Amino acid sequence: MTIQVKFALYNAVSKALIILAFMTLLPILVERIVYEHIDKRLVARSERILLTVKRGSIADIVREQDCSFESYNILKEEFVAIYPITDPLKMNNGTQIRNETWSIEGEKLQHRIISRPFLYDNQMYELNIGEGISTIDELKSIIQRFLLVMMLGVILISLFIDLAFARLLLKPLNSIISTKLLPVPSPAYFNFTPIPSSTAEFNQLDNRINEMMHKLKDSFQIEKEFISNVSHELQTPISIIQNRLENIINEGNLSDELLIKLSDSQRTLNRMSRIIKALLLISKIENDQYLKQDTIGAIELMDEVLEEIEERLTEKNITLHKYFYDDYNITQCNRTLLFTMMTNLINNAIKYNKDGGSIEIYTRVKDGKFQIEIKDSGIGIDKTDITGIFDRFKRLNKNKADGYGLGLPLVKTIAGFHKIEIIVDSIPNEGTEFVLRF
Amino acid sequence: MNVLIVEDERSLSHEMEIYLSRQNLNCDVAFNGKSASDKIHANSYDFVLLDLGLPDMDGLDLLRESKKAGIESAFIVLTARSEVEDKITGLDLGADDYIAKPFSLAELHSRMQAILRRKHGLKSNVMSVHDFDIDIQNRTVHCNGNSINLTKKEFDLLHYLALHKNRVLTRIQLTEHIWGDVLEDDYESNYIDVHVKNLRKKLSAQSSVDWFETVRGVGYRVNA
Repeated sequence: MTIQVKFALYNAVSKALIILAFMTLLPILVERIVYEHIDKRLVARSERILLTVKRGSIADIVREQDCSFESYNILKEEFVAIYPITDPLKMNNGTQIRNETWSIEGEKLQHRIISRPFLYDNQMYELNIGEGISTIDELKSIIQRFLLVMMLGVILISLFIDLAFARLLLKPLNSIISTKLLPVPSPAYFNFTPIPSSTAEFNQLDNRINEMMHKLKDSFQIEKEFISNVSHELQTPISIIQNRLENIINEGNLSDELLIKLSDSQRTLNRMSRIIKALLLISKIENDQYLKQDTIGAIELMDEVLEEIEERLTEKNITLHKYFYDDYNITQCNRTLLFTMMTNLINNAIKYNKDGGSIEIYTRVKDGKFQIEIKDSGIGIDKTDITGIFDRFKRLNKNKADGYGLGLPLVKTIAGFHKIEIIVDSIPNEGTEFVLRF
Repeated sequence: MNVLIVEDERSLSHEMEIYLSRQNLNCDVAFNGKSASDKIHANSYDFVLLDLGLPDMDGLDLLRESKKAGIESAFIVLTARSEVEDKITGLDLGADDYIAKPFSLAELHSRMQAILRRKHGLKSNVMSVHDFDIDIQNRTVHCNGNSINLTKKEFDLLHYLALHKNRVLTRIQLTEHIWGDVLEDDYESNYIDVHVKNLRKKLSAQSSVDWFETVRGVGYRVNA
């Protein structure tokens, strides 16, 4: 989930929660405020009526009508009632305000009622003043509905604004990711152009990435120079000795014994030179010194490699089975490196095969990816040793001095450079299978 | 045939000089770019063997400058530099070939001969070794009118041995010539012996191959 979506979701949820809380609290608040107003009004009215009563202006009316008095307006929303209290136990102590369903002429209505006892002419009376409150419930539900619609609108609008703002805000971050982090950060092809942003953190991030890549680029450059120097400084003395040995061998008049020693020295020197070459090749690949500008068909590549080393199969009477089912165009590759990789893999399959064994090579699409499989019927590798086969200078078969332990590391480096996945499977004494997935 | 060796490493240029002189080539040596440039302009060389890492200038600049001045010598670039662009740049600038150090002198010599063939079109592109005619142009071998079907590697092997006839070529020299371009994890292999065995078999079916000598523990020699 992107930050943008998370931001928008968070905003929407938090706003919804606030509105929900508001909507629950609002009716209660509204009710409170309304009641407060009504109560004040009721108290004021009761004061006024009591004052009138004390002056004696309504005394006649009370007496006339069976000692009680009731008066209400047309809509029965307001009323005033005075009753004599016969049972003192039922008398309220002091003023009381309550909600009650009051029946006026058979019509029941919810009222807010103030009750006040008072003494008049040695008789206890109770004054009740009521005000209808059914309209308040209506008001509450109207407010609630209005708020709901309004708030939904507000949430939607703010969600869009949030999304747009988050997008605008995160634009520099997104371009940092897409231009600087998504392509494999290689110092040689890194884009150092600063990404404009008014956000301090993004500027910092961009600057730091640039600084880091600058450092990396510098160390790559230093390593590149080092590799170049090492190859010059090591290869030159080797060249001298190699050429001198060649000249001595060509001199003639040498004893057979000396000739053999010289050719052995030549072989040793060649081994050293090859080790240096292989190490330099690995370093140069890791240092990004190879271009990937070639395109080659997988079958074409395999055929070229096989043409180069097929004759070696006869030495061990190995049968080669080619199952080239599918072809695949390997683009943006380095042909020479791929050639080296495949040669080493097939050579491995020959080298560690049994006499009279076989090699099967498949090219096919499996699980949506093109793959080249090389299966040999050789000595195999123990499960525990498989992880180590790509380590430099690791030779599993130590008795056989037939390699310098850099073939598979080379394969791994070249595969990594081309983002080719290598899967190795092996059963001791049955054979090994290398699968290259493109 | 005149050759200028431009190489600041004196021991190396000395060994090259010894080898090439034995092939009846007249060798001249320059240890830096300045003297090389002077010599290239003053004399007419058939070959300039040019090291890229000269003390006073970049070998590629010398190559560029010489080509601009219309020097017609064939340039072979020798380098221990590791930059991948070198090869491309060198060939772009008009170098005729490129050999990475360390190289075998036999290999250098065969490359020079290949350039000669390419440049001047040798009178005959066919080398004869006893009863066998090796057609370098068409990569075929004939014996008494019969064509012998050789693999690419077998042909290369025979051609290389014939080119350096009467000299021992060690297994390493042959291996480097046949598979030198590919870096692989194999140095003790006897694949060369297998190829020689197959080659001998194919040749001996047509005529005697007594001239194809095995130098025990060392390599092979074509006596002619």
